This record gives sequence, structure tokens and C-alpha cells, in this order.
Amino acid sequence: MTQKLRSTLILLVVTPVLLWSMAGMDVTPARIAAGFPRAATMLTDMFAHPDWEYWPIVQQRLIESLQIAALGTFLAGILAIPFGVLAARNLVRSPVPSTIGKVLLNAIRTFPEILLAYAFIKGLGLGAFAGVMAVAIHSIGMLGKLYAERIENVDKGAIEALTTTGASPVAIFRHCILPEVLPDFVSFVLYRFDLNVRSASVIGIVGAGGIGFILGLQYQAANYPRLGLIVIATIATVVVVDSISAKIRQRLA
Amino acid sequence: MSDVSTGVAAKAATLVSFKNTSVTYPNGFTALTDVNLEFHEGEFIVVVGLSGAGKSTLIRTINRLVPPTGGDVNVLGTPIRNISDANLRKTRRRIGMIFQNYNLVRRSSVLANVLTGRLGDLPTWRALLGLYTKSDTDLAIKCLTRVGILDKAYNRADQLSGGQQQRVAIARALAQQPRILLADEPVASLDPPTAHQVMRDLKALSREEGLLTIVNLHFVDMAMEYADRVIGLHAGTVVYDGPGADMTEADFERIYQRKIRPDDMRGAAEH
Repeated sequence: MTQKLRSTLILLVVTPVLLWSMAGMDVTPARIAAGFPRAATMLTDMFAHPDWEYWPIVQQRLIESLQIAALGTFLAGILAIPFGVLAARNLVRSPVPSTIGKVLLNAIRTFPEILLAYAFIKGLGLGAFAGVMAVAIHSIGMLGKLYAERIENVDKGAIEALTTTGASPVAIFRHCILPEVLPDFVSFVLYRFDLNVRSASVIGIVGAGGIGFILGLQYQAANYPRLGLIVIATIATVVVVDSISAKIRQRLA
Repeated sequence: MSDVSTGVAAKAATLVSFKNTSVTYPNGFTALTDVNLEFHEGEFIVVVGLSGAGKSTLIRTINRLVPPTGGDVNVLGTPIRNISDANLRKTRRRIGMIFQNYNLVRRSSVLANVLTGRLGDLPTWRALLGLYTKSDTDLAIKCLTRVGILDKAYNRADQLSGGQQQRVAIARALAQQPRILLADEPVASLDPPTAHQVMRDLKALSREEGLLTIVNLHFVDMAMEYADRVIGLHAGTVVYDGPGADMTEADFERIYQRKIRPDDMRGAAEH
């Protein structure tokens, strides 16, 4: 198939899909034009005059978000270990446990944090604890998968060498596999913490504690100067956490 | 370490005996055919042959990294073909092994690597908690001293040179207090002076501890220089079994089924 023919075909498929999507949303040039000045007013209110009086509450909620992220990530970091071990293909001869582990981890990752947050709010009530659980459960999916892949890449030679000493499988895991993978596990957990700082900020909107909770409130109240402060503070926090974690991960490598 | 100081006395105990042993891999390749051999305490044996001749399989059958598919191998008094997992681990404790690529736990310290040689004899709860006994640590330090790298005890294993890593691997094997030492192409990744140093170390250990040592080598000159006894393999069968010192070029050509080439020689040591 020539390049040109392929481009034409793609265009023939993509254009109707786009038009169909826009029709469903009632997007018209007039609406877009009317929206610009409104957005401009809102953004000016938010970022030209953020409400600094509101800072103590923002600070308190930001700290809560960081705590949700930290606790959730820590729990996931521990709970993902058995999943990672189960899903790793190279620890036992049978492929069955590994397949079960991988299916489980995929299933866990399928649930978006926000759905988990709703579920835990139903079970545990509004607040930070529901947020911690949502973050923790969702993170197990990714961490377990990364752990399993790391274990699968462990040097076969060292495992063979310890096998020939008569060491038990448990001893081999503890003294050969763990020392090799642990620094990388810590690195994965730190990376997941970065992502979870973002998630913990967002899931508050549905009531799972943290900065998202007041973000939702102020948005509904249309208090743009307060909203502005919340957004600025959240972005600054995320940037700072990212750069610190990147530095630590560099050291671990 | 073993108290026995037997040399190559004729009446030394038999530690390994192959009885009509054959090995066919799951892919159908037959690596050993009807091998009959006896190895004794204190012997320093070098196995030579082309790659694919079955050298590695022969060594790996002794600690059952490769299970025999025909006949049996009696190792330290135990037939290993149908051995249970628990008994296999018990037998393996007294068999040290070193490898071409050293196979150390790279991110662990030298001392931690040598201590892993003690894991087989350690109760599981101690192994799990990493609680080696005082005598384990003393032994590990003794082994490191023995191979001359005690000063590197707290270095990470992957910071050492190839020759040093191989000495750590020897110390790990010694820490098992073995009666048999297997070495699968132990010098293939080393430069000639280091290769000779490792061979001299292995030979000295074998003498002093009365260890049965079985080494795979590709190099003709090294086999002649170090072996008490040379086993020559061709296509999975034993085609030579005799003292290393009086081997002739003709013997090697029988094993290799071709003329000896320069790359079959490792070159002299810089003594």
C-alpha cells in the first residue's frame, strides 16, 4: 500500500469520527467565541489575584494530600512484593502462578483511582483514609508488575551458583534476589510516589481528602482567587516532589 | 575445611562414580553416552574436549544441575538420579562450584557473597534473617584470607576485577567446607597471568584440603601443566583417561579429532 493511499484512508476514517464527536457536544464557532472572554476573566481572577488569605487552609490540605500519597505508596510498595513474586516467571518451574499473578495485577490496574475512591468512600466514609486506600490499591497494579519484571531480570548465574551450594529457595530469594532488586524496588516506589501526589490531589474532588477536596468546593462556589491559589500551590508541590524524587532515584541507579 | 590430607594415594576414597551414565537433553541432544568413571579424594582432574563434547554436562551431572537420563552417578555415597530435593540439597552442600562468569551477587559485598556459601548449612530461620553465626563469619574471613583478598571484604562484588571476582567465588565455594570442587571453564574469561594464578590457587587448595577437584578447560597446555589426570571427551564419550604430564600431541589430536591450533593454547604464565 502506498503512503498516499494510507493517508487518504486514515483521513476518511478519522474525519467522520471527529465530526460525530463534535456533533454530540454541540460545538459551534459561536460557542467557542463566547467562551474565550469568560475563560479569560476566570484565569485573570485565578492567577492575577490569588487569595493569599486562604493559604493556611491550602497548606493544611496540601500536607494532607502528601500524607495520602506517602501512606498509600508505602502500603502499595509492601503489598506489591507478594504479587511481584507470584507474577515473576523465573522463580518456579510451573507457569501457572505467574499467569495468575499477572492476570490479578492487570485486573487491579484496570480500576481507575477515582472509581476506587468512590468505592472506599462508600465503605469508609468521606476523608483521607478512603484516599489512602484508593491510592494504595491502584498502585499495587503497577508496582507489582514492575517488581515482577525486575525479578525476571535477575542474573541467572548467581541464582545457579547459590543453588549449587545447597541453599534453600527461601535463602536464595533472601540472599541473591533481594539484594539485587531492592534498590530498584525503592526507585519504583519513589516514581510511583510522584504519580500518587498527582492522584491524591485529584481524588479529593470526589471526597477522598486532601487538596482536591477544597478544589472541588471552591470550584462549585466559583471562588476563582482561592481556586487560583490552590492550583498554583498544587503545581509547585508536584514540581518540587518530582525533582527531589528524580535526584534520589539517580543516586540509587 | 576437611582434615584429610591425602594426596593422590592409590587407595584414596572414591567420591564420584559414573555408572553407564548418559545424558540426553529435552531437545533430543545427547551430551553424554555411557560414561564410566571414578574420581577420588584429592585428585586434580582436568576435563578437555571441544565445545559440545560434553565437558560441561559431565561436571554439571555431578551436582545434578543436569540430571542423568541413563545409568546413574554416585556422589559422596548417594545415587543422584532419583534423589529427593532435600537429599540433593544436602549432597550439594559438600560440593563447591565455580563458573566462567564468577556468578556473584553483584550488588552485595565480597564478605556477604562468601557467607552465602554457608546458607546450605544454616537453619532456614537464620538464613531468612541473615543471622550467620560467629563461626560462619570466622570461616568466611578465613576463606577470604586464603584466596588473598581479605582487604576487599567490604567492597561491592561488581567493583572487583575478573581475577578478584573469581577468587571471591573460590572463597564462597571453600566456605561450604566442600569435599568436591567443580570448576566449569574457570579461566575462560581471564587473561593468561590471572588464569594461571587461579589454576595455581585451585591446585594448591586441592592438595592442602584433599579436595577432589574437577576442572573444565579448553586449553591443552594448561591441562598438561596442572592436571594429575586428564579426561578427554569427544562427542559425549570418554576417549582419554590418563595422567596429564605424559600426554602427547597425538593424544590431544585424538580428543579434538583435528590438529592442535594456537588458540587451543593459553600461553605461559608470568611466574
